[in-house]
Amino acid sequence: MSLTVALSKGKLLGGSESLFRRAGLPFPDDPGRRLVVALDGLRFLFVKDMDVPTYVEYGVADCGIAGRDVLLETGSDVYEPLDLGFGRCRLVVARPRGRGSEARSSTLRVATKYPKVAGAHFLERGISVEVVRLAGSVELAPGLGLSDCIVDVVETGRTLEENGLEQVEDVAASSARLIVNRASYHARRDEVGRLVDTLGKARS
Amino acid sequence: MMNGASHRLVQVPPGVQCFVGAEARRRRRIEEAVISVFEGWDYEEIIPPLFDYADVFATPGLAARTYSFVGRDGSLLALRPDFTSLLAKIAAGRLAHVAPPIRLYYSGEVLRYEPPKAGRQSELFQMGLEHLGGDSRAADAEILAIAGECLERLGIGGWVLALGHVGVFHGLVRALGLGEATVDVLEQRMEAKDGEGVRAVLAGAKASGPAADALVRLSSLAGDRASLAEAARALECCPDAARAVAELREVADALAAAGLGERVAIDLGEVRGLDYYTGLVFRVYARGLGFEVGGGGRYDTLLARFGRPMPAVGFMLGLDRVALLLERQQAPSADGGAPAEPIANAGLGAALKQARARRAAGARVRFGGEAR
Repeated sequence: MSLTVALSKGKLLGGSESLFRRAGLPFPDDPGRRLVVALDGLRFLFVKDMDVPTYVEYGVADCGIAGRDVLLETGSDVYEPLDLGFGRCRLVVARPRGRGSEARSSTLRVATKYPKVAGAHFLERGISVEVVRLAGSVELAPGLGLSDCIVDVVETGRTLEENGLEQVEDVAASSARLIVNRASYHARRDEVGRLVDTLGKARS
Repeated sequence: MMNGASHRLVQVPPGVQCFVGAEARRRRRIEEAVISVFEGWDYEEIIPPLFDYADVFATPGLAARTYSFVGRDGSLLALRPDFTSLLAKIAAGRLAHVAPPIRLYYSGEVLRYEPPKAGRQSELFQMGLEHLGGDSRAADAEILAIAGECLERLGIGGWVLALGHVGVFHGLVRALGLGEATVDVLEQRMEAKDGEGVRAVLAGAKASGPAADALVRLSSLAGDRASLAEAARALECCPDAARAVAELREVADALAAAGLGERVAIDLGEVRGLDYYTGLVFRVYARGLGFEVGGGGRYDTLLARFGRPMPAVGFMLGLDRVALLLERQQAPSADGGAPAEPIANAGLGAALKQARARRAAGARVRFGGEAR
């Protein structure tokens, strides 16, 4: 039985492909609309980035590649043996340029795709918070009056700037991680161990 | 048509389960197989109460997940969230006159407040045993052998016992004198086998030297029995951690001598679990299930809480998880037995007499005679 690898079709796809190719491992040329591709002893699942840890946690996939940002949000119980070094970004708090640090009301309203991370970040600091969960275009929220600030990932910070926002606080640093199912790690030790070694040697 | 009121009444709360017919039968067969192994190793059944005073279960790992309620007299009670604390209490109280070692097994539900996820429900059915008092290494080896026999008896394929020892991590952490907050983050990174994360936490806490290097190594110290030799070398700097590895080696070697060597996996980075573990910890994994089927460990300080200090070790298998695993690994078998004989209803008295006669002869009957 071949190992199953869960990958996201999102921003980590390019980095995952070059890593696998550098490592001399198979990688589907163009999965197209196919969501499951079997290739030379590996089986690839292409799923949403937030879903990669779930497939691995349940053992449907033996391993996968997920951003640390996603792992923080899903809180999945998986092993993370390798920092793969690509997909580097930061989770930050950003608010409209020039606006003071105080919220307009005693409860800070935060728009984000990462409700768990954002909620915990402020609550741990003793700040009451109302988390507004959005699926995308989070940068728009403060300008339109939906929230006081946002928690989102930034790579270069350009998108924030273009929307009149500035970073005010770091929440966490993120990069792509190899994640492994707990049972596969032990019950399929040899195959998983080989994959971890191969990818570990090939990472940038 | 949706009828509002009745629709609400049939709704089930999250985390509860209900098993019918073939599924219930399969679970009963599993329970019988496991119990027969427990009894074969001379363990005695104990049927503890479903609820007890909440402070019995007041260990940090469990308290947050316990369903507790106030009794009529104002005392705080809790539905049992595990058997181990309860059995420790009973061993120190009701069984205070029994000389150790005490061998007990249980089979039943525990209730935990947990969102249903990855094989966890609020209602879990556990089959397990506790070995209280007696020689520790022998007891460790004994319960691991029993765990192995249960898996063999159930016909589970591709299983491993992943062994760790909490003394390794704790020994190194103590040697470094790290603060509680650092240890919490460290534990979490260690559980994720995130070596780079462990290194970053230690660097942040300005911890360095051989014990810090050993902690980083620990996150990837997993493999077969041979990795224990490697661990022993890596941990020479820290006597407490080295002693823990030596204990584990003795047990792993005994399992190998008994023909279970191929089934042993070593996982020294395993630090998760209830806070009461003090020595050996282990998890049972099998191909086809993404999470452990069961596990256990040594808890030498728990009995002292109840006033009868003695070493103890235990393990349990989750019935829900065993059933799920077998369903995935094995073709469904027709375990319904012979079809029932219809008893035709030629007058109620005559029919009942016939049914009783057939039952006395051992037949399975369906009274009233309607077709199945």
